[in-house]
Amino acid sequence: MIKIKKQIMLLMFGILLISLASLSMVSAEVNVTVCCERTTSGLYCQDVVASQCASGVKQAPTACVSTSYCKPGTCYGANDGTCTDNTPQMVCNNKKGTWSVNSPPQCELGCCLLGDQAAFVSLVRCKNLSSALGLQTNYRKDITDEVSCVLQTQNSEKGACVYESEFQKSCRITSRGECAKTSSANANGTSESGTFFKDKLCSAPELGTICGPSSQTTCADGQDGVYFLDTCGNVANIYDSAMAPGRADTAGKDFLDYWANMKDRSEVCGAGSANAGSASCGNCNYLLGSYCRPSKSVGASATVGEYICADLNCKKTQDGTAKKHGESWCVWNDAGNTGKGQNSVGSRFFKHVCVNGQEIVEPCADYRQEECIQDTIRTAGGAFSQAACRVNRWQDCVAQTDAIDCGNTDKRDCLWREGVTLGTITNTSQTQEQNGTCLPKNPPGLKFWEGEQTKQICAQANTQCTVVFQKGLFGKETCKENCECLTDAWVKQKSELCMNLGDCGPNVNWLGTKGNRLGYKVTTVDSAAAPAASSTSGTTAGTGLGSTLGAPLGGTTGATS
Amino acid sequence: MKNKRGQVAIFIIIAIVLVILIVGIFLYQREIISFGGKAFSPESYLKDCITPEIQSDIAILAKQGGYASPTGFVTYKDEKIAYLCYISEFYKPCVVQEPFVRSNFENELSKLITNKVSACVDNLKREYERKGYSVSSAGVVSSVSIAPKKLNIDIKAPMTITKDTSQTFKQFNVQMDSQIYTVLAIAESIVNFEAVYGDSETTVYMQFYPNIMIEKNKLSDGTKIYKISDVVTKESFTFASRGLSWPPGYQLR
Repeated sequence: MIKIKKQIMLLMFGILLISLASLSMVSAEVNVTVCCERTTSGLYCQDVVASQCASGVKQAPTACVSTSYCKPGTCYGANDGTCTDNTPQMVCNNKKGTWSVNSPPQCELGCCLLGDQAAFVSLVRCKNLSSALGLQTNYRKDITDEVSCVLQTQNSEKGACVYESEFQKSCRITSRGECAKTSSANANGTSESGTFFKDKLCSAPELGTICGPSSQTTCADGQDGVYFLDTCGNVANIYDSAMAPGRADTAGKDFLDYWANMKDRSEVCGAGSANAGSASCGNCNYLLGSYCRPSKSVGASATVGEYICADLNCKKTQDGTAKKHGESWCVWNDAGNTGKGQNSVGSRFFKHVCVNGQEIVEPCADYRQEECIQDTIRTAGGAFSQAACRVNRWQDCVAQTDAIDCGNTDKRDCLWREGVTLGTITNTSQTQEQNGTCLPKNPPGLKFWEGEQTKQICAQANTQCTVVFQKGLFGKETCKENCECLTDAWVKQKSELCMNLGDCGPNVNWLGTKGNRLGYKVTTVDSAAAPAASSTSGTTAGTGLGSTLGAPLGGTTGATS
Repeated sequence: MKNKRGQVAIFIIIAIVLVILIVGIFLYQREIISFGGKAFSPESYLKDCITPEIQSDIAILAKQGGYASPTGFVTYKDEKIAYLCYISEFYKPCVVQEPFVRSNFENELSKLITNKVSACVDNLKREYERKGYSVSSAGVVSSVSIAPKKLNIDIKAPMTITKDTSQTFKQFNVQMDSQIYTVLAIAESIVNFEAVYGDSETTVYMQFYPNIMIEKNKLSDGTKIYKISDVVTKESFTFASRGLSWPPGYQLR
């Protein structure tokens, strides 16, 4: 009988073991990811759980980087000469691109000269761009960086290129090199290149071309200012209403000179100023915050023509200050103490940018996983601030045990709190040994409305403090150890420690509104009732959201938040 | 002597008449046909017909990441915005979902406008017929190509119109001013940056391209919504990306 019972017991134990093993296998299978060619939500090459894979697509129980079909590489598009990195093979093939593990030679960049402009692109893209602009392909493979490429256009000589067209002397503004490629039919009917006149405008009377001054203006490609056009449609000098035909003495020396020779922007009206909104001068300066725009889009009008220098600076931003075009700055105007380890619940960092007279708000990552950093540089035009969202490096703060490591801003974003300890305090010497705690400068936000994780995190701030009392001759108790644990200051310090860990404790939301509960709990247990404590009584305090405060030996005061 | 002069004069007159005739035929053979004294260009007619249609289609594609019916998308402000780069995991740069943003935009736009272009070509035929021409035509095939500062629509619609004489059109080309090329090129560059480095710095683009404005919004799940706009033409392109995102709290790997 006993033997049968033993056998039944063994059988039941066996079944239990098998059940547990199979349960763990099932849970492991649930969490195992596969490389899925396409997910149910239509995304390609994702490492997801098998249930998220679309039906009938390839999947392999390995990371996508290890598969043949989803291996990332460079995708080259022969049509437009573009190269995209980190593209899965099947995505590239589906889009009729050419995939390779490493960047193919076609993706090598060179300098594409497009008239008076340049682009640092691949050869195929250069051909496309040249064709679209009606230019001959001029690709310089020997130029291997973008700056040198841009300088190619800036260093080239510009001037009037005079050529014969339909028995007339026509002209266009171009570089010496481009002019040499311009063919014109001469009197003999044979073709010859145009004649180049450096720094001359097509409207120069001495050139005798059909082009003359006009009151039309334009925004020239790659230039900041408003420019006059001549009657042939060539870009002339910067717009100055005093030099417009009909407003100036067309026989005057200044007028003739202005329409005959190319002028540098430093030689014309409003040099060194932004001239934003000026009706009479088109000498815009992008670095000073003005740029050529159609008058209609700006809501202003120029004395002559339809273009004006638009003001790109922001006159009044959210914080009431004026900012320059391109300036960016950090904003954290939520309630709470940002940067002091007590950020409010739901708060985050924002980067503000002033662009084209508008203030753009760019939020950094939510849950304070990014913080905004900024600095100011001194320029001739005054201070210029630059900001960026950067990863919040709070992760290893609590692992630091000394103030120097904690404050190493090259490695982490933490702050050292003197005289504060995480965890249970049993005697005074312990607090003396570790005289502070390293905490995140901007604690991360938590999804406290989901799961149990937040409770576990906040429970790290639970503290038990054993206060020792000594009973006097006449029964009077005198505090002997950890007496500070009985003060309001101690409770405040511990509740703040909760907030230092994340969205825990008596915190407020980003609007400054308190929660409907205190956020922590202080429990005092008198150990005098406990048999272990005979001549002393103990008090232990604990803090931390969701902590389960047990009754420690001796008696406790506990706080939970 | 007088006879010789007379002959020369007759030859000159004949030559002038011939020249006028040749020039006349040449002008007639060009696509400009006069309807009751008013110049009529089939390309202008098609441009007027297609432009409003194509602009609304561009707007649809532009706010949905270049797709008429996005599959991998995020819903943001009631719009389905396609992910052009995405990774479901945390801490890693995204995997490119659309390597050729511009080509895809061209293809999607071509598909969207096919029927509308056919309708416009039909209208053109009817317009010719109304003017007394007999029109014979074949099927219509259209394609869109985006180039710097312009958008081209090539319409292959072989058509012969006959009234006294015949004129044959093989294809029409409609061109529109557009800055969408620059906008899409910047989108492509941002996607590449996201795929390689995990994130992109929008301020740099805005400083290099004075007419471009980029709005970047980071959602709670790590999704980034980019909106690239041309401040002068008001053309814009919106797309989504998710990469190098961080989980909330202490969920370390």
